[in-house]
Amino acid sequence: MLEVAELSAGYLGQDVVHQVSFAVDEGEAVAVIGSNGAGKTTLFRAVCGLLRPSRGSVRLDGRPITRRRAHDIARRGLAYVPAERHLFPEMTVAENLDLGAFPNRPRAARQALVHELFPRLAERRRQRAGTLSGGEQQMVAVGRALMSEPRLLLLDEPTTGLAPTVAAAAYEALTALRGQGLTIVVAEQQVPLALAFADRGYVLESGRIQLGGGADELEDNPDVQLAYLGIT
Amino acid sequence: MIRRAATVGRVGTPAVRAYAPVVLAGGLVALLPLRYGDSRAMMGVVIGGVLFACYAVGFNVIFGSTGQLFLCTGALAGLGGYASAILSDRHGLPMVLAMLLASLMAATAGGLLSWIAVSRSLGVIFTGIVTLAFALAFQNLLLGQRDLTGGETGLIVEAGSDTLLGEVVAPFYVFVVLLTAYLALYRALQRSHVGWAFRALRDDEIAAELAGVDVKRYRVLAGTLGSGMIGLAGALYAHSEGFISPSTFSFGDVDVLVIVMLAFGGIGSLLGPVVGAAAFTVLEEWMDSFNEYRLIIYGSVILVLFLALPRGVVPTVQGLVERLRGRPGRPAAPVSPSPVDTLNPG
Amino acid sequence: MRAVVFDGVVLGLQFGLLGVGLTLVYGLGGVLNLAQGQLAVLGAIVVALRLDAGSAVVPAVLTGLLVAGTVGLALDLTLMRPVYRRTGEDRVLLGLLLMLGVAFIIDGVLVWRYPIEALTLRIGGDPIDILGVRMRTGSLLASAIALGVGAILVLFLRYAATGKAVRSVIQDEEGAQLCGVSPDKVRAFVFALSGVLAALVAVTRSMTSPVTVNAGIDFTILALIVAVVGGLGSVSGAFLAGILLGIVNTVSAHYIGTYVTTIVLLGAAAVTIVLRPSGLLGAGRE
Repeated sequence: MLEVAELSAGYLGQDVVHQVSFAVDEGEAVAVIGSNGAGKTTLFRAVCGLLRPSRGSVRLDGRPITRRRAHDIARRGLAYVPAERHLFPEMTVAENLDLGAFPNRPRAARQALVHELFPRLAERRRQRAGTLSGGEQQMVAVGRALMSEPRLLLLDEPTTGLAPTVAAAAYEALTALRGQGLTIVVAEQQVPLALAFADRGYVLESGRIQLGGGADELEDNPDVQLAYLGIT
Repeated sequence: MIRRAATVGRVGTPAVRAYAPVVLAGGLVALLPLRYGDSRAMMGVVIGGVLFACYAVGFNVIFGSTGQLFLCTGALAGLGGYASAILSDRHGLPMVLAMLLASLMAATAGGLLSWIAVSRSLGVIFTGIVTLAFALAFQNLLLGQRDLTGGETGLIVEAGSDTLLGEVVAPFYVFVVLLTAYLALYRALQRSHVGWAFRALRDDEIAAELAGVDVKRYRVLAGTLGSGMIGLAGALYAHSEGFISPSTFSFGDVDVLVIVMLAFGGIGSLLGPVVGAAAFTVLEEWMDSFNEYRLIIYGSVILVLFLALPRGVVPTVQGLVERLRGRPGRPAAPVSPSPVDTLNPG
Repeated sequence: MRAVVFDGVVLGLQFGLLGVGLTLVYGLGGVLNLAQGQLAVLGAIVVALRLDAGSAVVPAVLTGLLVAGTVGLALDLTLMRPVYRRTGEDRVLLGLLLMLGVAFIIDGVLVWRYPIEALTLRIGGDPIDILGVRMRTGSLLASAIALGVGAILVLFLRYAATGKAVRSVIQDEEGAQLCGVSPDKVRAFVFALSGVLAALVAVTRSMTSPVTVNAGIDFTILALIVAVVGGLGSVSGAFLAGILLGIVNTVSAHYIGTYVTTIVLLGAAAVTIVLRPSGLLGAGRE
């Protein structure tokens, strides 16, 4: 479904991500793990159109989306939930979700789905997004992405700033979404959660893919254990 | 983009080579009366050109060096001009003293504006708006306070008419000396630690602060100095011309021209003001017969200029020369960052 | 005194409308449209020309609005492209300077071709009594239009899909993109809209006093002051600021004088920037 080939991208002429290649099949759950500054966010931004790659290509369902703008890619079924969430602070939860369905996706059914997944949002429907807690904002961000009926969901460090129980709940929700056929790629620093959730994973360090394999494989890999799982 | 057009530090070059352009420019300009010395009208035009070059150097100190968009050059010059005229004519102060005091007043006004902008962390737009408000308010003050300033009809400036400044060619040389002094001052600043601080803070404010540069202090310094230079030039003009009115120093007549001249010549470069002033003085003269098209031409020049030559003539030429010599120069057009980018690696 | 205040409200509503276009364009992309006033005058002159040519009032006004809107759209689609490609202060500076150039060109063309043209719309009818003050029908119609259009605008931004898209780009451009909103299209739309609003204000102003060919710069400065005091990016802020400044304007002009009035208005803008840069109702965007 998603094919990334030799992708390089960065800022002000300096590449941060170097010749990254990976693929995601329909229905899979893939984790991209790496420490701070590894290039995960840069990679995701380049894939979803917020950043123009310097080299390489990205294909969605076989069609190239490499130089397309983010709003164009969003309309093609790829939804991105950034680490900073980028909610509309002055708008209510309902309005935020509503905009996710821009311009004319069927709203009612999707909204019911989101409310089912995140009951708290139904309660806070009329509250301004800027006044929500971190966990609630994260729910709104994911919910908003879901409103566009995406086929592929990209999440950048969805558990940042969340209490452990909330983080676990977030991954439960993602698992539920997987069950409904959504393809999910998640970038995480909280490696145990990510590997427990995903089928496959890639390790990104210094802007390059160092390792790739099944989630179990990675969990058993001694280097991964040392670097990310704190197991010596 | 525009702000990065400043010349890279020349701290290493020996003084002779560093100041050569200053002397050269001053020398060339000083030759002009040979051609135009007979005509009082033409000398007036030439003096106007040198005056605007002086304004532009002052503006360059404020905007080119520290990126503060002061939209009140005319008002600062007017403050200098009117204050000097009033102090010398009405209060009997000796002309030179009046000019210095007037320049000081302009410097204080500019320094104050800088200080306000800096302590409230005003960005480019807000600094621009605040200084524009000052400029327009000053203009209205001139028009409203008829008893003091003569209002719309203007003010005749007596002091100075019996000195050098009252003659045809002599005032020109006074202005040339002023311009050369300003250029030398600008060059000296560039070579000093002040110039280094200016470049640092314009390149990356936060990094500069962390490196120990007191950004606020240097901005206020630039604002004060540049404003004083502009005020002094305005005061000198008042006495040499013998007559000033609000339109001598209005936004449309001064600020716009100065900005365009400097942008054309090269914001932040040493000779940019001279090149720009020369080009536009010629243009103005040539356009005298096309008076109706003036605004249209200026507008078009601004558009073409900022779209095609964002760095200005001098830096672009310098870049080309360096590339021809084989040294890695800057590219002719600035590199635009990717769309919607924030510096957030990782 | 009451008459002066009422006049101030009439003026203020139009000030507000003038500031709205400017504030929206800035809120969307950081571009300060210094040609706002010229777009207004352009619209007015087109209307005047159509009236001279014998057209009826309403079609003439619509033509004027259309022309101003189209020019606004054209400006966004052409000159603003290189501006939006830059970020931060670079974008602000380039946008400022390019719009200044445009302002000169429009001003120059209008003054050159139609130096004595001016727009005056006489609205017939006897003065009507409002709360003890006799108001001219022209003033009332102008106020009604400004109020009506303002209300429609606010409702549009709150409830219409495109309106919400506009607000989304103002509040978080990246977030908007992720929702499938094209910031470029939104900006083009709003630029065109601001042209239409500017021209509309020129038309309503002409109902009480003639709008001449060189009124452009005054309109721009007014729009700027209103937008700044109201808070750049806030539509309701622009209206609130407009009304307040309108009242200040008439009261000051009546009791003190015109030169001082201009200084007072400019001072208001400067004070707002210094004390409360986000303006009366601004969203905290500098």
